[in-house]
Amino acid sequence: MKRIILVGKPNSGKSLLFNQLTGLRQKVANFPGVTVELKSGQFEDLEVIDFPGTYSLHSLSRDEEIAIDKLGEAVHDQQTSLVVCVLDATRLERSLVFALQAQALARKNNKSVVFVLNMIDEVHRYGESIDTEKLAAELGGPVYALSAKTLEGVAAFKQALSELGQQPPAIQQLDIDADDDQQLVQRAQSLSKRFGMKADLVLKSQNRIDKFMLNNVLGGVAFLAIMFFLFQSIFTWATPLMDGVEFLLAELAHVITSFTGEGIITDFLNDAIFGGIGSFLVFVPQIMVLTLIIGILEDSGYLARAALICHKPLSFFGLSGRSFIPYLSGHACAIPAIMAARTIESPRKRLITMMTIPLMSCSARLPVYALLVAVLIPENATFLGIFNLQGAAFFGLYLFGICMALIVSLVLNVFTKKDENLTDMPFILELPSYRLPHWKPLIHRVWNSGMQFIKRAAPIIFMVSLGIWVLGYFPVGADLEHSLLGKIGHIIEPIFAPLGLDWRYGVAILMSFLAREVFVGALGTLFGIAGADENISGLAANIQADGLSLGSGIGLLLFYVVALQCVATVAVLKGETGKSSIAWGLYAAYGILAYIIGVTAAQLIGV
Amino acid sequence: MTLWEMKAKQQALIHSLSAKLSPAVAGRLHEMGFNAGQAILCLRRSPLRGPLVVQVGDCVYSLEQEVAQAVLLEQSAAS
Repeated sequence: MKRIILVGKPNSGKSLLFNQLTGLRQKVANFPGVTVELKSGQFEDLEVIDFPGTYSLHSLSRDEEIAIDKLGEAVHDQQTSLVVCVLDATRLERSLVFALQAQALARKNNKSVVFVLNMIDEVHRYGESIDTEKLAAELGGPVYALSAKTLEGVAAFKQALSELGQQPPAIQQLDIDADDDQQLVQRAQSLSKRFGMKADLVLKSQNRIDKFMLNNVLGGVAFLAIMFFLFQSIFTWATPLMDGVEFLLAELAHVITSFTGEGIITDFLNDAIFGGIGSFLVFVPQIMVLTLIIGILEDSGYLARAALICHKPLSFFGLSGRSFIPYLSGHACAIPAIMAARTIESPRKRLITMMTIPLMSCSARLPVYALLVAVLIPENATFLGIFNLQGAAFFGLYLFGICMALIVSLVLNVFTKKDENLTDMPFILELPSYRLPHWKPLIHRVWNSGMQFIKRAAPIIFMVSLGIWVLGYFPVGADLEHSLLGKIGHIIEPIFAPLGLDWRYGVAILMSFLAREVFVGALGTLFGIAGADENISGLAANIQADGLSLGSGIGLLLFYVVALQCVATVAVLKGETGKSSIAWGLYAAYGILAYIIGVTAAQLIGV
Repeated sequence: MTLWEMKAKQQALIHSLSAKLSPAVAGRLHEMGFNAGQAILCLRRSPLRGPLVVQVGDCVYSLEQEVAQAVLLEQSAAS
């Protein structure tokens, strides 16, 4: 099958054109540790590959380097018959710089190039037009003006493409030195002066909106409102979907186990398989909802403004302005947050952001916080007479997590400074035009994010939940105290002694290394409260009666703020950083750090 | 005078890029339109010495202090 490749500058509407050409079926290839994504689909009997938007063929970061290397390979490949350069018709000069570089690359590989002037509808709306025939003569390749959004000119382009893909146009000779970038930039400038529309026409409306969006006061209010909306969406609105997934899994488990009857197989299916799968499939709706909102923010052009607003305060901690949304999302769930860190352009800052996101108090910590706060603090206690002390404690825990993340960022910043693979990108950000996002690329993005998570997390989750199940189940017939896990709990009791905790807490902590919310259920079993997840106050009363000192309680709470007890997060970290060592290393390091902080607090307060 | 010293709504012409910039970053800036003789308009300054926003050719960019200080301007900046 012959192949055509789509290239272009970021924000040129290339992805939408790709979707309009290929329809619903597409594949996404990822490269571990970088954000490079190659999408491939089919247009008639041609394979179409969508390359990530690039400003230049000279890379600044590892991500760009990989994208450019892959582009070089693809252009060189014999199967490739045509290179399609997508240009933003409203910003001809900037689009032409990359288009001319891509043309030069194609020429070297003896490949033909066609140029697409996308967003021509906007040019027409300003009452302007572009002489495509003369531009084609200058560029030495066919030029098509179209709008992937309004579909103007798309049918004609499709028709042309099905012929050109099979029978590429002849490569015309040009008398310019394509290797001289200075000359290339000048050529782009003179061509856009001749053919393009006046720059200030396009920028006027964008700058008018920015006057509001970037205003120190109004822009700040808009920023807070948008972030509140985003946070709400992952915290509250994803909940019905998550409940739906849980319900479906419970029903499925019920149906399947009704065939297997009582016994070890049923227990295995219920606890290891459905319990294990359930513990990570519930995250899928959250991931998809967050991906959707971030996609809307990015495609509308706001994400760049949000990054600009947050850049200065976060850069103090070695983070990027684009770290803000991942950090905020991390308070709902670390998994979509780590995936959201892909929008951070600097590899080093992206790594630091991903490594510190697990310190944000995610929603899975809520049941643990709720239980321990209920045990330690009376419900109606107040603080300074007006603030509810339980509420203040919650706030303090969230704040502690954020402070820890910023401190760890500072430390990581010092340690990664010399890593040459993680060159820093300077903060040079294009503020694109505000545009209404199109649903087609968004839907694909949302779907891919969910599928990618499942593919990455499933194997690890399965292994760990199997391991914990075996330890908790055998020897057959024993309750949790006499199981292998209970025995391990007794053996490691000395480890938890400095925290003032006995073996029951040890077992619950061990079990919660799969997912921290397991802590409450496990402790419930050990304190004889069935269904403790739904009956936190009952369990809290039991623990109070049993006696948990303030020092131990606070130590345990701080332990849970810091510890990375979530195998699904480890799986995503491994996928996104491309390194097992970082993911599991972080799992261990945060565990040790959590223990040290917990013990210190417990000892200072007294157990 | 450097780009970083520009005030909002001021206009100027780019003189050159500082030699202190790494060649890769300087190259990228050239490709983005930061070329000698190019008119540049400062759209806004952010509080706390945050990134500034400039219009160069057909694009609007936001640059942090470190980069803006490496963009050298012709002496006279007009408002």
